[in-house]
Amino acid sequence: MDTSNPAILVNGNLLPTHVRKRVRTVIQVMNSDRGSVIGKSTDDQQLVIKGSPPSTPLTRFVEVIGIADSDKSIQAEIWTNFGDNFDASSFNQLCQLANGEYQHLFL
Amino acid sequence: MSINLTPNSIAAINGGDLNLKPLVQVVDIKQIGTSQERYRLLISDSVSTHHAMLATQLNDRVKTGRVKKGSVVQLIDYMCSDVQNRRIVVVLNMETIVLDCDIIGNPKLGDMTAQKTVSNLNSAQPGRSVYDNRGNMQSFRPAFNAQNPGSNNMQGLQTNPLLQSQGMQGSRPMLMVPNGSNGVLRSATGKNNNNTQTYAPTVQPAYQPPPSYRNQGPIMKNEAPARVIPISALNPYQGRWAIKARVTAKGDLRRYNNAKGDGKVFSFDLLDSDGGEIRATCFNAVVDRFYDVIEVGRVYLISKGGLKPAQKNFNHLKNEWEIFLEAASTVDLCPEEDGGSIPQQQFDFKPISEIESAENNSILDIIGIVISVNPSVPILRKNGMETQRRTVGMKDSSGRSVELTLWGDFCNKEGQNLQELVDSEMFPVLAVKAGKVSDFTGKSVGTISSTQLFINPDIPEAHVLSDWFARIGQNSAAVSISRDLVPSGSKNEIRKTVSQIKEEGLGRSDKPDWVTVKATITYFKLDSFCYPACPLMIGDRQCNKKATRSGTRWVCDRCSQEFDECDYRYLLQFQIQDHTGLAWVTAFQESGEEIMGYPAKEVYQLKHEAQDEARLSDVFRSRVFYTYLFRLKIKEEMYADETKVKITVVRADKIDYSSETRHMLDTISRFRRY
Repeated sequence: MDTSNPAILVNGNLLPTHVRKRVRTVIQVMNSDRGSVIGKSTDDQQLVIKGSPPSTPLTRFVEVIGIADSDKSIQAEIWTNFGDNFDASSFNQLCQLANGEYQHLFL
Repeated sequence: MSINLTPNSIAAINGGDLNLKPLVQVVDIKQIGTSQERYRLLISDSVSTHHAMLATQLNDRVKTGRVKKGSVVQLIDYMCSDVQNRRIVVVLNMETIVLDCDIIGNPKLGDMTAQKTVSNLNSAQPGRSVYDNRGNMQSFRPAFNAQNPGSNNMQGLQTNPLLQSQGMQGSRPMLMVPNGSNGVLRSATGKNNNNTQTYAPTVQPAYQPPPSYRNQGPIMKNEAPARVIPISALNPYQGRWAIKARVTAKGDLRRYNNAKGDGKVFSFDLLDSDGGEIRATCFNAVVDRFYDVIEVGRVYLISKGGLKPAQKNFNHLKNEWEIFLEAASTVDLCPEEDGGSIPQQQFDFKPISEIESAENNSILDIIGIVISVNPSVPILRKNGMETQRRTVGMKDSSGRSVELTLWGDFCNKEGQNLQELVDSEMFPVLAVKAGKVSDFTGKSVGTISSTQLFINPDIPEAHVLSDWFARIGQNSAAVSISRDLVPSGSKNEIRKTVSQIKEEGLGRSDKPDWVTVKATITYFKLDSFCYPACPLMIGDRQCNKKATRSGTRWVCDRCSQEFDECDYRYLLQFQIQDHTGLAWVTAFQESGEEIMGYPAKEVYQLKHEAQDEARLSDVFRSRVFYTYLFRLKIKEEMYADETKVKITVVRADKIDYSSETRHMLDTISRFRRY
């Protein structure tokens, strides 16, 4: 497992605190375009994911890993399809724990 | 404000005045008694004191603190009798007038004869005393045999208030014995005219039929008919009593054989107009007298029976006593008009939702609509006898349903009746009296020998229930408390880690422990992963007992039959591990198939017929390192000389990540960081 370039688990609210850092999150795809995808974060915020999505069609939920370039957008490097069924609320709670009292366990 | 106790009441009581109903003070309370709990009071009239035994029905007054040392009480009902040359006063009923009070007056311990414990009062028959009109006691001990302590040989002699108050002159001795009127007197309302400082007793004695003395020798017996008292007032210290009650249940005639020889016995249950219930039992010759007389539903006047403590193992009625009918007992059928106020049956229905929290093996009454009836199944009991078993689903307005298990005759009689009604969509109301709660799979109720079933009884609860069912119930879902609900997140689930099984000593109590563990299979035991099973059906289930080879065929011990093909069922032994430790567990057919993904027969054939070792180990290797949510039954069992904790996999569920995550998040939130 490659741990050389860790990404911080974020949701919409936590993204602003990690601008210019490597982050990862799961979004629900709302609109997909050439060059960018509009997605809804697990805490119902609109995020712009820039970069080129993979050639395979995107499922409803996608995980993106990349650099946060503003408090509402991510320059994605890695895209992973997470399927159409995803427990968004659990992921949201995970983000909160990972950035809150259990931060030391994650990075 | 100082309270005046009834002056000279101690002397008056000793002198035989049982109608005085005096105010006395309880100076001391002591608990005595070997097998039965008894309280002995020291009562005072501010000048002298006397010991008095408290009748057991008043025990909880002391226990709950309604009577304490220093309490001023009014003795409503009491008796004075002689036991072995000692004058014993027994308090049958009293009212606490003042709970806390300083000692009034300067009483001194006047009664020296009752110093020693009077435990013999529990069993011995109080003898008769004879008082002459001047209050001097002449002890008189008639020669009746004391071999039937329970039987009421004491002919109820009643005081004649007229004679008493006039202080009759003349030399004819007066016989005064217990005034057993405590049952009827109800001064619980405590209406005393308390305007004055001296509390005058205001309770009137109940009506007693005037004594009719037969002039026959030195003893004069009061032959007037005994007073009818409520069943709840019956106790062994009661004078002559009579009860009027309806028979609610009649037991079977049972024959037995013990050290004393052969005998026969039968019992019946009685209910009176106050709702009191009691069981009456007859032995041997008495059975012949009454067995045909007693009919369920009729009302009888019963008198001159003995009273003994009830056997709680068999007698589930709410009464600490049981009646024993004997040679002198009388049972008279009453015309139905007389029993108009006595209900046919008395129930204490509990809603089905309360059964969930009821104790295992407790006895209760339930009423519900029967929604399903399963066919009868023959069951082999431990003693080798075969009996029938039938399950019936019932639901009520609490939104819960329960499985009622019928045993024996209930299957064919009431069971068949219920089946027909349910089949024709006429879902009947079923009332169960004295069903036993069992916690074998979830909570269910089963019949016992004294259970009674009533289909569509004509009682208000039944009408309310069928009304509810017609309007709401038949379309509403009910949660079953009888199935062991196992989905994750169910309230029944207890989560443990593997190490907790050993650490907490699970399975070591007399009941098995049921827990859920999330763990991964790490190793399978490859030899004997299944066994040959008998495929024959017993009722609606497969026998599944281990079958043994018989030439080219198989034979089953339980079914005593031979068959060509046997079934193969899993008996998988494997190791499970989580982050805390590892454990060996066993899985049977259902969970075995879930884990292996192949029927046992196929894997067996791979090993024994195809002899394909490579393929066999492949199969097992492919099933290892999967994580499941295991439902485990943990129980300590004896193997030869040692006890081992055996863990059985009852269910192996694949992890549902969403709910498992939620479970973990919930656990995390409850996690305390120190």
